[in-house]
Amino acid sequence: MASRPTVQVRGGEGSSSLPLPAVFTAPIRLDVVQQVHKSIAKNRRQAYSVNVKAGHQTSAESWGTGRAVARIPRVGGGGTHRSGQAAFGNMCRGGRMFAPTKTWRRWHIKVNQNQRRFAVVSALAASALPGLVLARGHRIEEIEEVPLVIPSTAEGFKKTKEAVELLKSLNAYTDVVKVSNSRKLRAGRGKMRNRRHRQRRGPLIVYNEDNGIVHAFRNLPGVEIANVRRLNLLQLAPGGHLGRFVIWTESAFALLDEVFGTTDKVSLHKKDYYLPTAKISNPDVTRLINSSEIQAVVRPAGEKTQRRPWTQRKNPLVNRAILYRLNPYAKVLRKEETARQNKEGHVHTQLPAKTHEAGEAFINTLFAP
Amino acid sequence: MSYDLQWLLVRKWNSFIVDRVPEGPVFSKEPGNLRNLHSAKYSGIANGKIIDISDKNGQVVVRTRDAEAPIYANKKAEKTERIRNRSGGRRVAGVVSKKLSSGYRPDLREAALARSSALLAAQKPKKDVPPKELRGKKAKSFGLKA
Repeated sequence: MASRPTVQVRGGEGSSSLPLPAVFTAPIRLDVVQQVHKSIAKNRRQAYSVNVKAGHQTSAESWGTGRAVARIPRVGGGGTHRSGQAAFGNMCRGGRMFAPTKTWRRWHIKVNQNQRRFAVVSALAASALPGLVLARGHRIEEIEEVPLVIPSTAEGFKKTKEAVELLKSLNAYTDVVKVSNSRKLRAGRGKMRNRRHRQRRGPLIVYNEDNGIVHAFRNLPGVEIANVRRLNLLQLAPGGHLGRFVIWTESAFALLDEVFGTTDKVSLHKKDYYLPTAKISNPDVTRLINSSEIQAVVRPAGEKTQRRPWTQRKNPLVNRAILYRLNPYAKVLRKEETARQNKEGHVHTQLPAKTHEAGEAFINTLFAP
Repeated sequence: MSYDLQWLLVRKWNSFIVDRVPEGPVFSKEPGNLRNLHSAKYSGIANGKIIDISDKNGQVVVRTRDAEAPIYANKKAEKTERIRNRSGGRRVAGVVSKKLSSGYRPDLREAALARSSALLAAQKPKKDVPPKELRGKKAKSFGLKA
């Protein structure tokens, strides 16, 4: 990159700008992010299962053949309705379920560290493209540019009122309003399991040092707050969808090159970590096609031919022009043939002239009485 | 980061897609999409040069994106041109077509003109449908026609 673009700090008095950290130019791999997200999202699960004994607490045995009933195990004894009923099977009332769930299911999935880091870095790079942030559904139409950087003084905010005021001055409050309006009652049992409502996600605030910023922002609906050293893919790409709206404090933004390193400078917070480089340095297809290197080797464009969208199909056996187009040699053959016929003195054999009237003798015999 | 790459990222899923009819067209409702179609050409999110034509209280508003602006710029790169109310179709068409044919997305000219004239047509007050004249037997029985 010839000159590093700069990002302006907004929402404070005076203007300062910071160079864009190298993370934002990292390759964006949607497939990596989705796959890593899918695995990481599983790591907060708790084990559950049915009771191991469920459906097996009878001494049922099959009656075998000859009793005109199915050979399923049946509860023995007498004196109760239960005796003689089928047991154990997944199709039986009071039987065990099919393939009972076990607590030792593989709940948590290991993801390689480099893959996790790749996904985080990808998600960060995506959060710096307004198109992708819009496509995720964040209301950033009125925001001047992304990434959005706010002054470090915001880290000292103690009151939510201050936070709201700042977001309003940045035109970022619409995203919080969107979340607030989206709050719906959850469908299903989740309502009684402390997941009563569901709502969209708002902006993610990333800070360097918590001097009250967490308390100031945490009561805003949909807003999440994270330390720049502990960025999490689940927050950066919720649902595996790229382009979370991230608001950085100035000092957090300045720290990004330290946290993630660059392509040629090692990270200070992650051991031996360099940023991944993209496989293609220029992914702009139009630019590639129009580049002088490619234009130098491609054949020049031919004349434009307007093809008729459809034409009547002609039979080459009948239509001579079509035949000659398909088989140019047919013309020569035809010429030779006529020449040969002319030389032989082609003669029309004359058919005997047709007699039109029947003879008198014939008529007489035909109509003989 | 290029817009080609961005298109690949938003092609399969984004919040603007409207895919209702199976086997039918996939629509997209983002601003800046002239035909409201989900395609790379018309996309209002994965393009450097975007033209958005909308109606604002009878005013036709033409919003374009500065092609030279960095990819990170959002509102900063926008440029709006408002065409005064009741300027008429010729003026709107002129403004739109001049903007597009001078090197800024000439491929969108037709779609942009179609959209702007559709906006103008929608502004016109609806004419009342004249009451249906009774004909034949009915007219005679009600004594409306001699």
